Amino acid sequence: MDSPRAALDQGFGGGVDDFAALLRRKGLLAQVPQSGPAVGRTSAIPQTQATTILAFKFQGGVLVAGDRRATSGNTVVYDRADKVLEIDRHSIMAIAGVPATAWEMARVLEHSFQFFRRTQLQDMSVDGKVRALSKLLRDNFGFVMQGVGVVVPIFATYDAGADPAARLYFYDAMGANFEVTDYAATGSGSPAVRGVLYYENNWGKKPLLKLDEDDAVTVALRALDTAAESDTATGAVDRNAKIFPIIKIVSRDGIATLLDKQIAALFKKGVA
Amino acid sequence: MIEEPYRWVEAVANRREYIETQLAHGSPIAAVGYSQGIVFITLGRTRQKLFEIYDRIAMGAIGHPGDIERLRMAVIELASTEGFTRSAADVSLRRLAYYSLSPVLKAAFEQIYGAPYLARMLFAEIGDTPENDLFLRLEYDGAIATNGASLAETQKNFGALSGTRASTELMESFLKREHKSAATLRDALKTALDAWTVGNMALAEDGARELPAKEAIASERDKIAGGIEAAILDRDAKTAIRYRSLTGEEIRSLTTR
Repeated sequence: MDSPRAALDQGFGGGVDDFAALLRRKGLLAQVPQSGPAVGRTSAIPQTQATTILAFKFQGGVLVAGDRRATSGNTVVYDRADKVLEIDRHSIMAIAGVPATAWEMARVLEHSFQFFRRTQLQDMSVDGKVRALSKLLRDNFGFVMQGVGVVVPIFATYDAGADPAARLYFYDAMGANFEVTDYAATGSGSPAVRGVLYYENNWGKKPLLKLDEDDAVTVALRALDTAAESDTATGAVDRNAKIFPIIKIVSRDGIATLLDKQIAALFKKGVA
Repeated sequence: MIEEPYRWVEAVANRREYIETQLAHGSPIAAVGYSQGIVFITLGRTRQKLFEIYDRIAMGAIGHPGDIERLRMAVIELASTEGFTRSAADVSLRRLAYYSLSPVLKAAFEQIYGAPYLARMLFAEIGDTPENDLFLRLEYDGAIATNGASLAETQKNFGALSGTRASTELMESFLKREHKSAATLRDALKTALDAWTVGNMALAEDGARELPAKEAIASERDKIAGGIEAAILDRDAKTAIRYRSLTGEEIRSLTTR
């Protein structure tokens, strides 16, 4: 330690560094290995995968839901996975893809937003938050090219000051973000989910935006059930083991997580 | 010059005098524990002086804004990386202050060819119970004072920071006399504001050693027109982040009788 002052200030960036840059400086972010499976070829190691997630806007904000299954090849690894993650008081990230990478991304993202608020003394804008996730995906693309760690998230947030207040985005594995007006779904069960949501939105009782909370939850449960019917990687509701999808709603008041009891009642009434 | 030990002692003494002069006009900061949390208060002289460090840690500081910023950024970086690599529960004010900040401040202070930090900080960490609340004052030379019990006194549930030692001591003896830990936020805020007033009066009146009379404090407090900056650490918050700065509206409604 030649200069103690510098010890505390090492690489002091004048407070403009983002959290991911700080982690990189400290060597705390995973580096893309230089040798490994050839570029473009799928890794020989079976990876744990999480599917299927969906989100749509309704009367009360944005509903984000995910099934509970994690698979590795043909094997069900876990039937209680949580793919709908709270990032801050008004932001939810839902993940389809490799949980190891996705949960780490969620942690980085959560800390990034807080780090920004604490150091810069203001909240990060919605655009800034959306971009931050884009950048994490872009940084992960080296792994994706090596055939590991593909993540395709959905990001939902509520900004009372903006119009519209409810914002919903989905991403591709390279980090492009697409804002949607009504609904988004990713993961292996997403084609079925998109079919259900498209149908509901156009020819259902009401457009998704007009649904109240109970109806919105019912639609989400039906969509996930439809996906589970044909897609082995999507877990269906298991009433005996009391395994229900994770459903969270982000609104002006923050994030509410639906209780299993509420979901069970609506499932019984509207699905099976 | 510093080859001779005597010269080194002299140089450090000069430096202490210089820093004390620089800090002597800092607006006091009082942190007071109440039943539901801890409230920080100061009167702003146009720049923010109360800051969120981590989920359960807040900081107030006086000194040069450049130095305060460097220390604040450094401690936020330390806390955030610890919270990220381990967990939020592993971030502790005690560790941040004793193992990271204090040695660095001491070294910067004593290396007389380099610039010292012109800053004095008051930290608080909210615990599950008032007994576990930690108040910690960190000086520019790395010295640490906490609210812990000692031979002569029981554990305190407040912390004070001011431009001069005399002013800080007066604030502490005032809080020791007036503050009750079962206080409501409204009472705690009032006591903290009075403690600020005591500290500020001591700064204006050089060399004050006695607490002013209650009426004098009250009349001085009534002169405060605005510019109150306050933040709380909430004990029972349902979310992980306990820090919240009070809005001007909230402060007005809490300070009017």
